Amino acid sequence: MGPVEHLHMSVFSQSFSPCGRFLAAGNNYGEIAVFSLSSALSPDATDLSQTPILTFTAHEGPVFSLFSTDSHLLSAGNGEISAWSWAELIKRNTKAAWTRRPNYKSSLEIPEINAMTVNPTENSLVIGGGDNNIHIMDLESGVFKSVLQGHTDYIHCLSVREREGEILSGGEDGAVRIWDHRTGQSVHCIEVYKYEECARPQYGKWISCLTTESDWMLCGGGPSLSLWHLRSMSPTSIFPLSGCQRQANFYQDMILSVGEGQCVSHCLLGGEVKAQIPCTPHSLNTLALNLNSTDNRVLTVGGSSHQIDVFTNLSYRTFSLSF
Amino acid sequence: MGAVTDDEVIRKRLLIDGDGAGDDRRINVLLKSFTKWCNSTGSPEEGFTQYQRMLGTLAQCEFSMGKTLLVYDMNLREMENYEKIYTDIEQNITSAHDKISECKKEIQRAKRIRKNRQEYDALAKVIQQHPDRHETLKQLEALDKELQQLSHIKENVEDKLELRKKQFHVLLSTIQELQQTLENDEKSENDDAQESSMENGE
Repeated sequence: MGPVEHLHMSVFSQSFSPCGRFLAAGNNYGEIAVFSLSSALSPDATDLSQTPILTFTAHEGPVFSLFSTDSHLLSAGNGEISAWSWAELIKRNTKAAWTRRPNYKSSLEIPEINAMTVNPTENSLVIGGGDNNIHIMDLESGVFKSVLQGHTDYIHCLSVREREGEILSGGEDGAVRIWDHRTGQSVHCIEVYKYEECARPQYGKWISCLTTESDWMLCGGGPSLSLWHLRSMSPTSIFPLSGCQRQANFYQDMILSVGEGQCVSHCLLGGEVKAQIPCTPHSLNTLALNLNSTDNRVLTVGGSSHQIDVFTNLSYRTFSLSF
Repeated sequence: MGAVTDDEVIRKRLLIDGDGAGDDRRINVLLKSFTKWCNSTGSPEEGFTQYQRMLGTLAQCEFSMGKTLLVYDMNLREMENYEKIYTDIEQNITSAHDKISECKKEIQRAKRIRKNRQEYDALAKVIQQHPDRHETLKQLEALDKELQQLSHIKENVEDKLELRKKQFHVLLSTIQELQQTLENDEKSENDDAQESSMENGE
């Protein structure tokens, strides 16, 4: 990997291992790097511990989405999904457990897969990508059970509400659709850009970040990042963040959000921006919180740089891992 | 083992300059002077002064021994004191640890409460934008009353209209009847007149 490629690297996705000791990150060259968090956070860490313990090429196209189940790391590349066993990856064995592709209607174009999430109640994998449809795959059998159609443009982000059994998807067409996973029908469709207080026509109508927690939903992208109450389908707070947000998470009583802009924004549910913590990449694509482990409880962000910032205390950047 | 402890003892004694070497020397000098005094052939005054000097050195030796004993006692008690302080501090550390974990739990609880409050506030903001339920109900009631009144008035006006229509109808029909009767009367009069003129003509 030459220095020029290093300069042009973007980290698109991250995922923590189920034990919480390792971090996998995917970049735009189709590579996945596995970092050992426990050695990077230990008191006698050196510069070497901030480099990956393993880097391998997983797909031909960029790895836009990574997801960890209890034993496997799922990665999505150009139209296909591969699964890697975490135990094997820790032993530096880079053979994929399986690789599958959803049934695409047209065989000419291979649509990229932008978002993946798991529906734990049904043990199924929900995939959204460039063909405007959501595919649902059963994780045990590997069969593609159903296709949810309704979006008119490609899908950026997915989220699952386990209690109500709903899948939410946000796409380029500006609509957040709520699907019932059993019937496969679109229960609601919220067009965020049609609400005056959220809309930012100068950026467009696309929705690039979507996350839910019980009755609340955060969505943003072209329109400002806004907090919605799903029962009444009304926007309750709008966050005055200047760039387009690409990923947001609920954490304890705050909202963490990353996007355009060289900072991680901490916001309160009421709509005020409490803090903006600077970090190395100029524009951030992904934010991940390691809640699986008590020792390595860190926040990591990655974006348009080959470095991934690690925050042990949410208020400041501790160090950076380097691809 | 004996050799090691001897070494330690010798090292310690060499380190402690002052009294230790002085005491040893003093005892040796005392013994020497005692044997010299026992074998002395001098005058009784000299012997007496030597005897006094020896008593003096003996007293000095006893004094320094007493001092070291006291120091030893003091050290033992200091050790006990330090042990006690050590256990106290350990207990404090464990209780502080416990307090810290309690406080952490408190923080988690407080954060949850704060989050709930914020969610409540956010919803309340949205709800405030909608008008008050009582007011809308009152407005609805007022509108209902108005509606009722207006329909009442409409009914009254319609009734009046009907009545007038009927009255006009009666009036017009009576007028027509009267006209008819008048015409009939005129015709019958004309007929009568023609009949009488025809009879006269013949």
